[in-house]
Order: sequence, then structure tokens, then C-alpha cells
Amino acid sequence: MKKFLNLLTKEIRELITLQLFISLLFTVFLFYFIGQMAKTEIKRAMRIQKIAVLDLDGSLLSQQLTDSLSLANFQVEKLEGKSKAEAIAWTKSSDINLLVVIPTGFGESVDTLELREMETYSFLRSFSIIGSRSSVILGSVVNALNNYISDDFLKKKIPDFNPEKLKKPIRSKDYVVVKDRMAEGAAASIAGFISSQSIFVPIILMMIIIYSSQMVISAIAMEKQNKTLETLLTVPISRTSIVATKMLASAVVGLISAVIYLFGFRYYMSGFMGDVSRAAASEGLPKVIQELGLGMTANTYLILGVSLFLAILCALAMATILGVLAEDYRSAQSLIMPVIFLVMIPYFLSFFSDIKNLSLPVKVFVWAIPFSHPFLTTQNLLLENYRAVVGGILYMLIFFIALIVIAARIFSTDRVLTMKLRFRRKKLVL
Amino acid sequence: MEAVLEVEGLKKNYGHLEALKGISFEVKPGEIFALIGPNGAGKTTTLRIVATLLSPSGGKVTLLGHDLKKEPEKFREKISYLPEEAGAYKNLKGIDYLKFMAKFYADTEEKAREYVDRAKLISDLGSRINEKAGTYSKGMVRKLLLGRALMTRPELAILDEPTSGLDVINALEVREIIKKFAREGISVLLSSHNMLEIEFLSDRVALIDQGVILDSGTPAELKEKYQARNLEEVFRSALR
Repeated sequence: MKKFLNLLTKEIRELITLQLFISLLFTVFLFYFIGQMAKTEIKRAMRIQKIAVLDLDGSLLSQQLTDSLSLANFQVEKLEGKSKAEAIAWTKSSDINLLVVIPTGFGESVDTLELREMETYSFLRSFSIIGSRSSVILGSVVNALNNYISDDFLKKKIPDFNPEKLKKPIRSKDYVVVKDRMAEGAAASIAGFISSQSIFVPIILMMIIIYSSQMVISAIAMEKQNKTLETLLTVPISRTSIVATKMLASAVVGLISAVIYLFGFRYYMSGFMGDVSRAAASEGLPKVIQELGLGMTANTYLILGVSLFLAILCALAMATILGVLAEDYRSAQSLIMPVIFLVMIPYFLSFFSDIKNLSLPVKVFVWAIPFSHPFLTTQNLLLENYRAVVGGILYMLIFFIALIVIAARIFSTDRVLTMKLRFRRKKLVL
Repeated sequence: MEAVLEVEGLKKNYGHLEALKGISFEVKPGEIFALIGPNGAGKTTTLRIVATLLSPSGGKVTLLGHDLKKEPEKFREKISYLPEEAGAYKNLKGIDYLKFMAKFYADTEEKAREYVDRAKLISDLGSRINEKAGTYSKGMVRKLLLGRALMTRPELAILDEPTSGLDVINALEVREIIKKFAREGISVLLSSHNMLEIEFLSDRVALIDQGVILDSGTPAELKEKYQARNLEEVFRSALR
């Protein structure tokens, strides 16, 4: 045990370098900076927006429209005595991004329900989503006005009739059913809320796997490059311990790196997600989530942690074997690619599709990748598919044991020194 | 006197290539035994097998009665190996590298300190021992590694080209150190291209070529047998 700890300490000391700290601090700073920028931009977009209005009609309705814009958080700049072309030129030269032109006869045409177009001009000065937000707000204002005008018209024509009944004769009340639980709510909102709460799972997994795998493969490659491996293999410590300490040290440093990385990522996400969570809370979604039993409990987190940990161990074992094939640090960086691809496949699939709905061969392929299981664990736990969770954990455990046996055998034979992948010849030399 | 290391009919194949074709030799206590031969003769393969890095394809290797195949761990406790192209961990200070290696062999902190002190003396790096190995010259790294190899006073020190990459002064110092430790009872198995070095250091020599030991004996015996002035001439004659 003393020898094991001695080697483990050395491995950790070798991995924790000044370069690692600088790179981590830089990443955290970068995330913080982008997050703060996003926050500032969103706040700016939420502030009162300026809008230019050219009212060529001067009717009561056009006045009502202008007032509605003020109520919708717009600072209205009324353009007096200008033609349409002059109004466009004026707005273009100002910092206002939106111009509304209310044509002559607008109020009159609405009274008779004859369609008359109101013109809006959006001045795109950037292509950001936030930059085009004012036109979205204007669209909702126009919608509200349309409703108001049509309701008013119907009330005048059929005084004792609720216009809503005519406009929406069918209404729906949404319920969501999960297993044997049911609650009132929209499926899309609930799915959106849960994915916003568990978005960190695939990100954590991907970061730790990539970090740790790179570390272990580089550690072995560096031993070869620096010609220290031969000496290490002749000291009185078991080969299994050499493999285990390299993996453990990489896992520890990978975990620390991921925590620091996530700390920065939290700042980054808070810039975007803060309002989503508040909006969800105001809609009463957390209560619905509780009713449906979709809340994350301590047990859920524990099982998820086990699943994540096993996936990390599988990645480390794979990287250890690949590390033996590397001749030096540079070739190690190329050899890590298969592990990264195997993490990327379930990562993107979990974002863009439901793995359950894939065709059988693709599904089998995805399930065969050990890293797919932690991506599915949260979903399976919440939906009480415990067999899938246990199956995934067992599969990863067997996969890991098989890999570790292979890694230990390679380290116990000549292959640790003689096996390498030559990229030029593209063949295994044993 | 009972041999420390006994090698009998040692074979090693790399696929179809026969690197060693059944060589036999022994190393006695306190003896410096050298393998000399051209590149690809099988010197490093032999040393790597005895150092437990490679497994033999045939034959038997025993160290103080322990069989290499059955008890490789026992071998590792009693040997120390200095590869031809070896390095130290660049991020570790020289002193930390020695402490790290000493802990694998020492049962107590006191013993580890004793090993490190001895290694410091052998390395003779002065205050540079407290700097990172990444800042060392090739010669300094070699001396640090020699210190590491001899600090535990192993039963058998396996030294592959011990003066490789060293300048004349450092090479002389290293040879003196090896000789001194052998006089104190450490057995040494070494290989070198440098015939003068072999002649200066070795008690006995084996001439190896294409995986076969052509001849062996003390440098004086071999010179007399082949009527040669030095080992270079002995080797040339043995090859004919």
C-alpha cells in the first residue's frame, strides 16, 4: 500500500502542472466573461426598446395602437410631418431598430373589417437573436390588437355573445401522465424544464471523460517519450498497481479539473438560464414535476453518480490501452480520438433525438458504447425504468473489468514495450 | 563461489526473428560481467530479460535461486536496471526523484534517507539536485540515474551502456563509481560498445554476436587466447 501511495502521489504531482492551472483558470475566466456578456446583453434587450412610429392616419385606432406600444415597454418616437421615405431615412440614421408606418385610412378600414396593412421596418444592425427581439414584441402587440379589434367588431354585431366562443370553439386542457401518476400541465414545458435541470449531466460526463482520458494516455506516452517507463517497470511494484495508479491519478485530476471547469460553466449558463428557471417557477412547474414524481432525489443523484463513475473508469481503461500504442505525446493526442468520438455519439444523440426511437441496429450500436448509459440514466430513473439503469451499470462494470484485465495483461508482458501503432505504416507491430 | 545470476540456454524470439539463440553465462558475487558485441547482437535483449522487462522464449534465468518466470517480483527487489536511453521525470526535482525511487525499496523512512544520501553522493550534483530534472544536461541525468541504480546496493546492477552520452571526465567518474561498488560486493552485468571501458571495468567478458555467445573469459585470458593487444582485436578475431 505504501508503494502504491508513493506511485499515486508521483502520478498526481506529474499531472498537476502550472500549464494545467493556467489552462483551467483561463477557461473559467473565459466562461465567466462570456456569461457576464450574455447577461448584460439580455438585460439590455429587456430594457425599454425604442420604436419610431409614423402615423399617417391620425385616427382613434392608430392612437390606440401607439398607446399599446408604450404599454408594451416601447419608448415611442412619434415622427411628425414626414413622408414614408423620410421616416425610413431618419430611422436608419438613428439608433432605433424598428419603424412602424400606419397608413392613411387605417382606422376607417378596420371599422369595416377591410384588410389594410400596417408596415413595419426592422433595421438589422446585427444578426443576434437578442437584436431582433423588438420585432418579436411588436408582433405580439399586433396580435393583441387584432384580438381586440375582432372582439370589438363581434361584440358590436352580436352584443350578447362571447367572441372567444366563436374564435376558439374548441379548447383543450392538458394533462401529462408518467407511469401511474397524472398532473395538469403541458408536456413540452415539463420536458423543457427537466432537460434544463439535467443539462449538466452530459456536459459533466463529456468533460471528465475527455480530460481524464487525455491525462492517462498522455501520462503513459510521456513515460515512453521521457524514457522513464523501462525504469518504472523494473521497480518492485506490481504492474497492476502501475496501471491502477495512472488511472486513479487521472481520474482524481480529471475530476478536480471538471469541478473547476463546471464552476466557470455555471457562470456561463446563469447568463442564459436564469430567466428560464424563474419563468418555470412562475408557471408552477416545480409543483407539477413533484406531482409526477420527476424530481431529482438523493437516490437519483447517487445512482447517477455511480453510472458516471463507471463510464469514467471505462474511458480511463480504454485510454490506458491506447496509451500503450502511443510512441510519444503527439501520437497519444491522435490516439485519444476514438474515445472522444465514442463520447460524442451519445452526447449529440441525447440532445437531438430519443435513443429509444432509433432503429434496432443503431440502438444496439449506441447501447454497446458504455458512455451511452449515463446519458440515459437520468431519463430512465425519472421514468422508473430501473431494469435499463441496472442493465447499463452492469454492462459498464463488465466492460471495465474486461478492459482492465486486458490493460493489466499488456503491462505484464513484453507488449507494453514492443506494441505500438505506426501511423505511417498503419499496422500493429507486436 | 555460488553465482548470483545464472543464465542457461536463454532464447528470445520476436516473431520469426531469433534474437537470442540459447545463451548461457553466470555472474559471481562482486563481479563485473560484460557483454560486448555489435548493434543487434542481443546485448540489450539479454539485459532487458534479466531486468524482467521482456519474457524469455526459452531457457532459464535464476537470481540467487529465484526463477525469473516464477518470481519476477523477487527479481525486481534484488536488481537495479539502468537502461541505455533512460530519463528522469522532468517535473520532479532530482532529490524528489531519488526519494520517490527509494520508497519502493526501503522498509523504513530511515532506510529511504540512507538510500537518498548515498544516491546524492554518487550523483554529485551539488545544489542542482534541488532543481527539476527537466533543467539537467544529459550527463547530469545519467549521473542521477546511476545514483538511483546503485543507491540500494542491489544484489545485481544491470547497466546498459552506463557512460552513454557522457563526456570524458564524467565517464571516468562513472567508471570509478561502478568499480568501487563492485569492490564492495555488488555484482554488475553491463553492456557497452566501448572496448576500452569494458577492459577497464570488467572482471569477465562475453563476446556476443547474432544471439550467440562466441567466447567468454577474463580480458587477459581472451587477449592471450586470440593473441591480441586489446579487446577490439579479440572481438575481430572471434568474429572470423
